[in-house]
Amino acid sequence: MEKNISLQAQALSFAYNKIPILKGIDFDIEKGSFLSIIGPNGAGKSTLVNIISKVLPSFEGDLKIEGKSIKRLSSSEVAKKIAVVPQYTDMGFNFTVSEIVLMGRYPHLKRFKGENRNDYDICSRAMHITRTEEFSSRKYNELSGGEKQRVIIAQTLAQDTPIIILDEPTSHLDINFQIEFMELFYDLNKNYGKTIIGIFHDINLALQYSEKIIMLKEGKIFADGKTADVITRSNIMAVFNSDVYVARNPFTGRLYVSPNFNLRINKEKNISKKEIKIHVIGGGGAASHILNILHNHGYILSAGVINNLDTDINTAQELGIIFINEAPFSPISKEAYSKNLELVKNADLVILPGIEFGNGNILNLEAVYEAVKMNKKIIVVDGINISIRDHIGGKAADIYEKIISSGAYLIKTDEDIIKAIPEVI
Amino acid sequence: MNRKALRIIIILIIIIIVLIMIASSIGAANLSISSTAKIIFSKVWGIRNFIDISSISPQDMKIVFDIRLPRILMAVMAGIALSGSGVIFQGIFRNPMADPYIIGVSSGAAFGATIAIMFAKGLKFFNLSLTSLFAFAGAILTTLLIYNISKIKGKISILTLLLSGVALSSLLTSVISFLMIYRTHDLSKVYFWIMGGLTNSSWLNLSIITPAVVLISVVIFFYTKDLNVLSLGEERANQLGMQTEKLKLTLLILASLIAAAAVSVSGIIGFVGLITPHIMRLFVGPDHKILYPSAALSGGIVLLFSDTIARIILAPREIPVGIITSIIGVPFFIYLLVRSKRQVF
Repeated sequence: MEKNISLQAQALSFAYNKIPILKGIDFDIEKGSFLSIIGPNGAGKSTLVNIISKVLPSFEGDLKIEGKSIKRLSSSEVAKKIAVVPQYTDMGFNFTVSEIVLMGRYPHLKRFKGENRNDYDICSRAMHITRTEEFSSRKYNELSGGEKQRVIIAQTLAQDTPIIILDEPTSHLDINFQIEFMELFYDLNKNYGKTIIGIFHDINLALQYSEKIIMLKEGKIFADGKTADVITRSNIMAVFNSDVYVARNPFTGRLYVSPNFNLRINKEKNISKKEIKIHVIGGGGAASHILNILHNHGYILSAGVINNLDTDINTAQELGIIFINEAPFSPISKEAYSKNLELVKNADLVILPGIEFGNGNILNLEAVYEAVKMNKKIIVVDGINISIRDHIGGKAADIYEKIISSGAYLIKTDEDIIKAIPEVI
Repeated sequence: MNRKALRIIIILIIIIIVLIMIASSIGAANLSISSTAKIIFSKVWGIRNFIDISSISPQDMKIVFDIRLPRILMAVMAGIALSGSGVIFQGIFRNPMADPYIIGVSSGAAFGATIAIMFAKGLKFFNLSLTSLFAFAGAILTTLLIYNISKIKGKISILTLLLSGVALSSLLTSVISFLMIYRTHDLSKVYFWIMGGLTNSSWLNLSIITPAVVLISVVIFFYTKDLNVLSLGEERANQLGMQTEKLKLTLLILASLIAAAAVSVSGIIGFVGLITPHIMRLFVGPDHKILYPSAALSGGIVLLFSDTIARIILAPREIPVGIITSIIGVPFFIYLLVRSKRQVF
């Protein structure tokens, strides 16, 4: 048993009324880590929390807290190691905020002794961190939802445990509160060495802060490891049965997922579209939406040239589209340009989305002009005037005008593309 | 316990002592409060040597000390037991409508008492009335039965506990009604017992009830912080390290015991155990560490006050104290119902 493991599950199983809920779970959670457990409803997340916090004392297999089996620890010993932050609930009795926070000291108190100086100190620190001290003498039931949740967090911090479990405490809060709470726990993790285990419905919230993810499916661990390894389109498809788009947030560098809402319906309707090959010019994220629309309508697609780290690369990868790429933030090379022309040559139709043009990607515009010369059908998204999108003093606008005047079909928005294709071909 | 709590408790104890003096002087033989005080203090160890009782007749001594005082102290003890037990039941059930009788103490005691009144007339057991013993046994057995009915896989469901309590209580009430019709000549006796009254108080009864009530109340006091945590809900209490099943069982036993002890000597006195905790919650808040002792002491005050009214309002006839507590209690109960309705809907 390694010293830096705070929680370890070994062949953990649990059945309720003979219906198996957890079916042999193994994991190690390192001290000081920030880990999330995700999974659809019924995957066993809540049961797992209840076993870890000894709310459910009997189960198969073993669970060790800092090396000691939970079965040999009393309820109050467990509560000194592990605190659970639940969603706030209303209370039958109208306690004040400080009375509620003080109850967090319960596992530390002896039967015939009251709270001492130390207990009060820990509580006021907990109230300070959660900014609940300003309303410490108010009645809990009279607070707003966000304030109540802060009080519950203060109560949990008063427990003063090395491990904190977040049992979906933010899922009913506004986004500003969600972020505030997550920042608080992130701080506790980074600066106070607390091990944080989060149970989340919102995958994006989990991704934003977690280093590791355990993915549960039907009472088993489906995937367990570093966030980027676990959160993939195929894993989420397998566990949540939903098609999502996985990408990195360009601001935070964190992964995020976004559902592809209309995918299934459109696929079923339009799968038998005649096999038209379309090449989409990419760059700066301008092609993503069109690629997605066309993909949903069953067209055969290619794309290029796109710089690595560009959103359009992600889209093309996720949708499984052939694309030509270029090193990040570099101008398009001759080599990439000629590869791109190959794809153009192969296509029945070339689409030019509303891309911004500079010296780096002028060759993409040249490629469209080449397509004109090859007598390819051209559709141009002309929502924003080219003079605004031309950042190289009219050079791009010149080529653009030539493309237009040679009879390219103009559309105003990405959505018009589906109506435009039958008219062009 | 903080200073505020201590102050409230001292004030309540002073009120009880003053009320005991006043109540002891009220009755058919009218005595001054000062002579009553002298009589009472002359029996208190440590200060009796300083009290001059030469001016008081032996007859007055007897009236106050042997007739009035046992009953007055019994009212205080029964009030403490019922109201304290009410706090516990409301805390465990997290329901403001809970009272000491909610899981069968009253119907069980009434059933036991009815059996004793009808079939064991005048019998005594070591000088204790069999009615009291049967009532106590009936209360405890019924509570145990209801507890066991609601225990599923080692866990008690609060909802099943309430439902089986209601069901078994109405069964026992029907049996009592049947017995009352079957043996009409005992009807008024049974009826009077059920209404509740403290006429049978004696120093002997008191010497059994007092240590029991005081001891159990002190034990319960050390569980008041647990009740606070339990009011967060069982799952949360579990997460905070409480063994909720064990705690619920302990508290149910202790609260039922003192309620049964009170009922066995006083009959079913309604509403003291329901309203007093609520009144005190308005004054001291929901923290059981303060609420429990202050509600228990206030229960003593309320019952002593009600019993004194019951003694004098139709003097020389007496009315059962249960009627007085209900007349005060029912309007308050309805007020609570209306108020909680407004909060819920």
